[in-house]
Amino acid sequence: MRSWYFSEMAYHPAWQVGLKRGSLRVVLPNENLDPAEAHRLLHRYLDEFALCDEVGLDIMVNEHHSTATCMTVSAPMALAVIARETKRARLLTLGNPIANRPDPVRVAEEMAWLDVLSGGRLEMGLVKGAPYETAPANANPARLMRRYWEAHDLILKALSTTDGPFNWEGEYFHYRNVNIWPRPIQQPAPPVWMTGMSVDSGRLAAERGHVIGTLLSGGTAKPMYDMYRRTARERGWEAGPDRMAYAAVVGVGQTRDEGLRRADQIADYVRTAPVVAEQFTNPPGYNSVAANVAILKAGPRAHRIVKDRQGNLIDHRTASVQQFMDTDTVFAGTPDDVFGQIRDFNARMGGVGHLLFFGQGGYLNHQDAMANITLFGREVAPRLREMN
Amino acid sequence: MTRSISVSGVALEIEERGTGRPLLFLHAGEGLQPRRPWLDALAARFHVIAPHHPGFGQSTLPDWFGTVDDIAYLYLDLARDLGLRDAVLLGAGFGGWIAAEMAVRDTRCFAHLVLAAPLGIKLGGVTDRDIVDMHAIPRAEFMRLAWADPHRGEIDWTALPETELAAIVRGREALALFGWKPYMHNPRLKRWLHRIDLPTLLLWGEHDRIVTPAYGEGWRAAIPGARMDLIRDAGHFPHWEQPEAFAECAAGFVGRH
Repeated sequence: MRSWYFSEMAYHPAWQVGLKRGSLRVVLPNENLDPAEAHRLLHRYLDEFALCDEVGLDIMVNEHHSTATCMTVSAPMALAVIARETKRARLLTLGNPIANRPDPVRVAEEMAWLDVLSGGRLEMGLVKGAPYETAPANANPARLMRRYWEAHDLILKALSTTDGPFNWEGEYFHYRNVNIWPRPIQQPAPPVWMTGMSVDSGRLAAERGHVIGTLLSGGTAKPMYDMYRRTARERGWEAGPDRMAYAAVVGVGQTRDEGLRRADQIADYVRTAPVVAEQFTNPPGYNSVAANVAILKAGPRAHRIVKDRQGNLIDHRTASVQQFMDTDTVFAGTPDDVFGQIRDFNARMGGVGHLLFFGQGGYLNHQDAMANITLFGREVAPRLREMN
Repeated sequence: MTRSISVSGVALEIEERGTGRPLLFLHAGEGLQPRRPWLDALAARFHVIAPHHPGFGQSTLPDWFGTVDDIAYLYLDLARDLGLRDAVLLGAGFGGWIAAEMAVRDTRCFAHLVLAAPLGIKLGGVTDRDIVDMHAIPRAEFMRLAWADPHRGEIDWTALPETELAAIVRGREALALFGWKPYMHNPRLKRWLHRIDLPTLLLWGEHDRIVTPAYGEGWRAAIPGARMDLIRDAGHFPHWEQPEAFAECAAGFVGRH
């Protein structure tokens, strides 16, 4: 199992006001951000990413918009900095929200440029994006996945075509001369990742051989991984653990208490992330008809609840660190504890090749974040690498 | 009577009731809701033909179909296929936008146009909201802005059968498809409203704060000879909130012009 450190570069000084106003996203005015403080935090977070390279971890960045939970507005921009500051780490964007991006050829250019800059260390996530991302992007949630797949196909064609220019006259995107410079080191294209939570996502990723990742939802991950493996088998190949990824909060300490304390602080990210003004949580068309019927039948807000391993309902906004551990959202304790928890999780899931290690979530201070990364990188990651 | 009719490759579910002058009723973004009283109020005065828009009710939404232009051409084909003559074209809210798009193209089948609180045009500057962003406000706020009395519009979703919920969900997605960007309007439509050559009535709930009566004035000014009537004690859905007064206003206008 490979381990990828990941942080959203949160602007946590605005969380309390966001919680009080009922939304950390979209409608929280940016007067609640002090640019000087943001400057300090961005440099701090980039230092934490740079440390990963020294302790043998790979790196993941993502992006969100119009939110106090994540200051990374452009995954390629963040990775451009990180690519210069690192030498060995593989660099994952998870990812580019391509259904919300008006210009897929620009995405292909950015990815190719990053692959060249990093010496072929790029892993390229192409994601649907969270429901509340359609508002800041003003992306139509109806037929979002049709737009996603057209962008996906165009990006991969742009990255892998060497005898262009070619033209593209599709439903959503129109170009007459696609011929990106530079072209990527990794041919025909850097490895592609997707995210998902449903068996459908598992099937669609398997049909293309992409890595499938899921975030903070152990209970829903297993059927998706199983569908991936089944689909691959039906198509004549065996999907190994290297096709499966899982993101969890990890808190490691010299003592169990220290690890739990760090995890508890990082988990504040998980508690705040779902606090979004209700009207942005489920734009029409984003979720399937069946899912929306279930939401209407259940009444408001019921859809933010997940189940733990015993089937108990857990609300992410108020869960304790123990409850998060029971839903496989958090792994925490000493290096031995954390290794044991991940090993058991890996066995339950049937083999997961990538752990996306959520190691900074806001209130965790710089010293703790550095210690968490170092302990994980030195004491846990090498043992995970031997697994599977 | 409910029937399915295939028009230009789209299977449309159509409600039909009443006798007399044909009236093509184009429903609002909230769906046709044929069991509610306004269709009967209109059917007491007209032969009402009311399609569920593509993607709403049981009407299909083919992959190639995706704009208000498509709906306008589809319904012009429907009117031709049904052989409508001297018909009344009546659209409410989102349906009013469709009706206007039809009327700037071809009015051969129609003798009167009634637009009830139509969406569809842009009047103000780039940072003015002519049309409230209904997808960016909480449900309670939407109800407060859309109704003179919000209690009249409350729906207990949990009490509806799954087939009806599925139709509502499909309709919401279709409305987003047609109206998300630019939001619920066609930036070019206002420039072509002068082409409308039918006696036109704009009907507005006096308490409509989704699109206000002042926005209605903009419509009235852009359509040659159009008049505007306000309906008392009604908001954005005057046909729903005051079905009798609504039908009476429409019938009175058609009778006089």
